[in-house]
Amino acid sequence: MSGAAFGLVAVQPVRFTPARAVLLLGSLAVLAAVAMSLSVLLGEYRLHLGAALADPTSADARVLFGLRLPRALLGALVGAALAASGSALQALLRNPLADPFVLGVSGGAALGTTLALALGLLAVAGPSLFAFAGAVGAMALVLGAGRARSSPYAALLTGVVFNAFAAAVITCVKTLLTPDQVGEILYWLAGTLGYERLRTLAVAAVIQAVALGVLWRESGRLNLLTLGDDEAASLGVPVRRTRWWVLIAASLSVAGAVALSGLIGFVGLIVPHLLRLWLGPDQRLLVPASALGGAAFLVTADLLTRLLFPLFHAEPPVGVVTAVLGGPLFVWLLHRREGLA
Amino acid sequence: MTAAALLLPLALLGAAPDAGPLRMLGPRPAGEARRVVTLAPSLTDLVLALGAGERLVGVSRFDERPEVAPLPRVGGFVDPSVEAVVGLHPDLVLVQPGPGNKRPVEAMAELGTPVLLLPLDTVADVLTAERAVGKALGRTEEGERLARRLETARAEVRGRSQRRNPVRALLVFGFDPLVVAGPGGFADELLGDVGATNVAADAGSSYAVYSVERAILARPELIIDAADVPGSKARLRALPGLREARWVSLPDRSLLHPGPALEQGLGQLEALVAPPLPRSEARP
Repeated sequence: MSGAAFGLVAVQPVRFTPARAVLLLGSLAVLAAVAMSLSVLLGEYRLHLGAALADPTSADARVLFGLRLPRALLGALVGAALAASGSALQALLRNPLADPFVLGVSGGAALGTTLALALGLLAVAGPSLFAFAGAVGAMALVLGAGRARSSPYAALLTGVVFNAFAAAVITCVKTLLTPDQVGEILYWLAGTLGYERLRTLAVAAVIQAVALGVLWRESGRLNLLTLGDDEAASLGVPVRRTRWWVLIAASLSVAGAVALSGLIGFVGLIVPHLLRLWLGPDQRLLVPASALGGAAFLVTADLLTRLLFPLFHAEPPVGVVTAVLGGPLFVWLLHRREGLA
Repeated sequence: MTAAALLLPLALLGAAPDAGPLRMLGPRPAGEARRVVTLAPSLTDLVLALGAGERLVGVSRFDERPEVAPLPRVGGFVDPSVEAVVGLHPDLVLVQPGPGNKRPVEAMAELGTPVLLLPLDTVADVLTAERAVGKALGRTEEGERLARRLETARAEVRGRSQRRNPVRALLVFGFDPLVVAGPGGFADELLGDVGATNVAADAGSSYAVYSVERAILARPELIIDAADVPGSKARLRALPGLREARWVSLPDRSLLHPGPALEQGLGQLEALVAPPLPRSEARP
């Protein structure tokens, strides 16, 4: 499977016009808004929108503003972060299989949370803080140790090795923990959207706005980087600096997402691939489009988990739903790209 | 930072999370609770034992009692559905707290639902829960009676067991991996009541993964199987040091439900540790 086969390389000149961008991004924004509206309106509790809006002290209003809206916002933030980072990393690493977790961020977040649980620190602060610290620590290690500026593969390989190392340490810690504690960490690792407070969401929104803003700013240079380092340099791209900014921004974005939701797979893989099929490989369009598409996809997947509650008497972790939807979709995409279908 | 400060967290490694004392979250209930949701089968048992089963409006998906079969399920221990709970408009939610359900339970309280957090790790926790839930349901006397009954039963069992030689016992919750009753939990306390010496007193917590080799070295005289599935029980049973032990199984799950069922579980445990002697061998 080559990068060219997956349409990663911007070989054909792509016409980027503001009108086309506004039209495409606008329609994706509508899609995300529809997904969020449905997510806010549907659920186990029978919500009467009129009652919720008329009386802010009613149970309907509390469910709407206290539960559903924060959860939909959380889903949108996490989905946007994972998909936009996935899109940028696939282009930067010239690898169609690069997902947001390849840079060791997932291993770092999981390790941070597991250690906090083992040391009894989760009573002090929720898992988010420790996951974020672990993710940022892993990111610093991978980017620092992997000579990430000189070669894109160094960061990729260090990240993969770090994830394997983290998995081994987590397994070791799990054998030391009691079984009920292990159950809790497993549930968190499977990737779930919970109920965050508005101030947590506000902090997360600022982190994502900065990180995705940087990715969008670098997206033009990212297009040229897909041609190869030498070609990009000859076209005036500061290769090392661009790579550095993209790696930092993507890692920060994913760290912010993982801290709130655990490890939700496939969003960062499937959404950029689907959109690349539709929009072409231009990162200037793909990065914001992936953010909007990722938000719509994850919010919809989360709505599905909530609607499955009467069936299972439990909400399956949303990471399970994205994997069940994403796996077959990815195989279908691969067949289509390779001309086998 | 001193070495002690560095070592303290390590000492906590493997220790059970501190569930904390009994706590109330959310608004104070106006009077006695009329619409109750429980998030653990032990707490459902408690409400039923208090004679207030008709006030239950929702239970966890792990509840198996026939009395609550028609009630809606609101999720599990670590993943209760906040919406399902709030949608039932309860005026009291009974919760066994843990790090896994901390955030959803806080969300319920923030939405205006009174929540009573009841740790159920030790017998003292169970007694406190019986009294507290009794009070919250306006059944203070019944709660007190339940607590007294368990205390009396324990005193009687202890009185009988003091006249016997202690038995070296291992209580097994699971075989893959080997999970046993360690020190500090209600199972360990009840083992002490019936005159059993818990050979896993060196385990890290009250519900601990234990080394098979240590279990062999401890040479238990009695192994009590409280596991759901046999797993590698047969393999363990063939090992030297364990095959010589007397292997018994709990007749039901009473001992696994830290609530009013503990009284029955205690009786079962006593019967397993000190089986009534055949009449011909019985001493005067």
